[in-house]
Amino acid sequence: MNRVGMVGGAALLVASCATLRAHADCFGDLAGREVCLPHPARRVVTIPMPSASSFIAVDGSAQRLVGMHPSSKKAIDEGLLGRMFPQARAIDASVAGVGADGFMPNVETLALLDPDVVVQWGDRGDDIVGPLRNAGIRTALLRYGTESLARGNLTLMADIAGKPERAKELIAWRAATIIDIEKTARDIPEARRLRVVYLQRAASGLAAAGANSYNDFYIRLVGGRNAAEGLAGAPAINAEQIAQWDPDVILLNGFEEKLTPARIYDDEILSATRAARERRVYKMPIGGYRWDPPSQESPLTWMWLADLLYPDAFHYDLRAEIAHAYRLLYGQTPSRADMDEVLRMQINGDARFYDRFAASESK
Amino acid sequence: MSLLVTASGDTPQKRALPRWVGALAVLVLFVVAALTALCVGRFQIAPQKAIAILLARVSPLTADWSAMDERIILLVRAPRVLLAALCGAGLAVSGAALQGVFRNPLVAPQILGVSPGAAFGGALAITLGFSGFALIGGAFAFGAVALVLVGALARVEGRSDTVMLVLTGVVIGALFAALVSLLQFLADPNSSLPAIVFWLMGSFSAATWARLGVAAPGVLVGVAMLWLMRFRINVLSLGEEEARALGLPVERDRWLVFGAVALIEGAAVAVAGVVGWVGLVVPHAARLLVGSDQRALLPVSAALGASYLLLVDSLARSATAAEIPLGVITALIGAPVFAALLRQTRRKELAG
Repeated sequence: MNRVGMVGGAALLVASCATLRAHADCFGDLAGREVCLPHPARRVVTIPMPSASSFIAVDGSAQRLVGMHPSSKKAIDEGLLGRMFPQARAIDASVAGVGADGFMPNVETLALLDPDVVVQWGDRGDDIVGPLRNAGIRTALLRYGTESLARGNLTLMADIAGKPERAKELIAWRAATIIDIEKTARDIPEARRLRVVYLQRAASGLAAAGANSYNDFYIRLVGGRNAAEGLAGAPAINAEQIAQWDPDVILLNGFEEKLTPARIYDDEILSATRAARERRVYKMPIGGYRWDPPSQESPLTWMWLADLLYPDAFHYDLRAEIAHAYRLLYGQTPSRADMDEVLRMQINGDARFYDRFAASESK
Repeated sequence: MSLLVTASGDTPQKRALPRWVGALAVLVLFVVAALTALCVGRFQIAPQKAIAILLARVSPLTADWSAMDERIILLVRAPRVLLAALCGAGLAVSGAALQGVFRNPLVAPQILGVSPGAAFGGALAITLGFSGFALIGGAFAFGAVALVLVGALARVEGRSDTVMLVLTGVVIGALFAALVSLLQFLADPNSSLPAIVFWLMGSFSAATWARLGVAAPGVLVGVAMLWLMRFRINVLSLGEEEARALGLPVERDRWLVFGAVALIEGAAVAVAGVVGWVGLVVPHAARLLVGSDQRALLPVSAALGASYLLLVDSLARSATAAEIPLGVITALIGAPVFAALLRQTRRKELAG
């Protein structure tokens, strides 16, 4: 082969690779597998609960989401996301079961939806992935629970949507917020670090989030100490244990709808803790998704907690931050009533320091 | 079949110790267990302070404890200790009586389908977002429904024999167990599911004076009924034909015992979730101490059952910062003890 031929051959090879890349979009998922889509996905189904809202946030619309888990649908129907994206309310939510074991996909329903890709849990065993594989449905697997996985999930959603720059934008916001909070939190003296308990469950029985939970991560991020750090996971505990910890602040989960700070203030033992005596019991807010677990809105969770724990050190204008975030995430500006709802002003309104989140009359 | 030997098979003369020594030992054990349960816990209170807080209620004592110390002792531990003792005694007495009536040492209160029924009622209440007394009411109501179903289905031509009863109990129990599984399947994995799972494994963590007030009447009335029936249970344990020949209305008396057991079991499951093994294991230990005459067996089972659950509950709430479910510990201790008892009994039978 002469020199011209070799160069020509190489050029042809490069060109064909380039064509291939244009046709098949390949990226890694969080289980370390390569996922190749023939084009940015046009029909997406999400089975892990937080993924539907993450995908809508990354894509900026609910057009391409054709199926989701019933629990994701419930959050959308009840929360702000359903109002911001009314078309999301019409999305099919019958692809999987409703409850705890409800991540087993109904392959035939999925086949009817004809998705380009189905997002599924990657850390809950192969039993819930195998049926999809056997049916020849393309899957992308995610994992959940830490900040680095949260970023990975946003990247995965952006790769599926064919908008990798969106993930970079959202991750940059997270990274900048963390740096900003750490800068202030670093100066909080050891003696002033508040002891915080996040109650994963409080309506029937008590359970607290221990070390290595996402709640533990953001309590420490803003300069607090997780009083329940001796626990692993979020096991059941008793009131006596909380009395022994005597936390400065108690955070109530956003999952138990009927749970309010009255649960603590009316309890004979818990009402005697420092947190209750100083009225520092707060119910976690709910926006496009609940603020307790990692989600696209996590930086708002961190700012909210930082403001509440150390009001003299942190000075976030949370309403402005929410407005900015929702324009970034959803392309929409929330109304004042929306923000009241997100921050649960009615439930948390009379808790200590919560007045700083109240809408000022001048705004 | 050796497992179907009558529970009243051994004779008092064979025992190494006189009956009163066994009874006294059990009484001492109960007092020690109750004091231990009151003094240990995650919240640090010195034992002498814990006892002083209680004594201060009846005698003038100068208070050198904090308000929280007093709340923990009076509002957390005292009702929890009493509730654990009450349920332990009730479950053990139920087991002893049923083992006598069925003439089968493997029978436990669960056999009548009451606890799966009550478990379903409680799980349903949690799924629907109820807690507190609605939960207790749900558990109790479905426990009663299960017993009524067993009673109705086991009666053929106006009579119900023991084999039919046991099988019907198993069937109804399986039905309610399936319904519990269905509820777990449907439950929200973020909120109600962990609550249901923990509740099903049994715990006294939600004990309050009010709950004690709800459970106590059921358990006490049930235990009193069984105590009043002690002679009749002795006769029933001789066998159906013998009891009939002695002029006992077998069918009616049996149902009176079942009713009492359902009352106790329903009340216990309602306030503490499903606590297994106590009703199966404790009566065996009691029989080793005082023999199978219900007049001695019932009170000794009660004291032993109360002590057992008190110690198990102390372990459950103090061993780690997390609450260990009671059912886990009762089974972990109960299963090996029961295996040892079975082997010992069988060896005696072979030797005899």
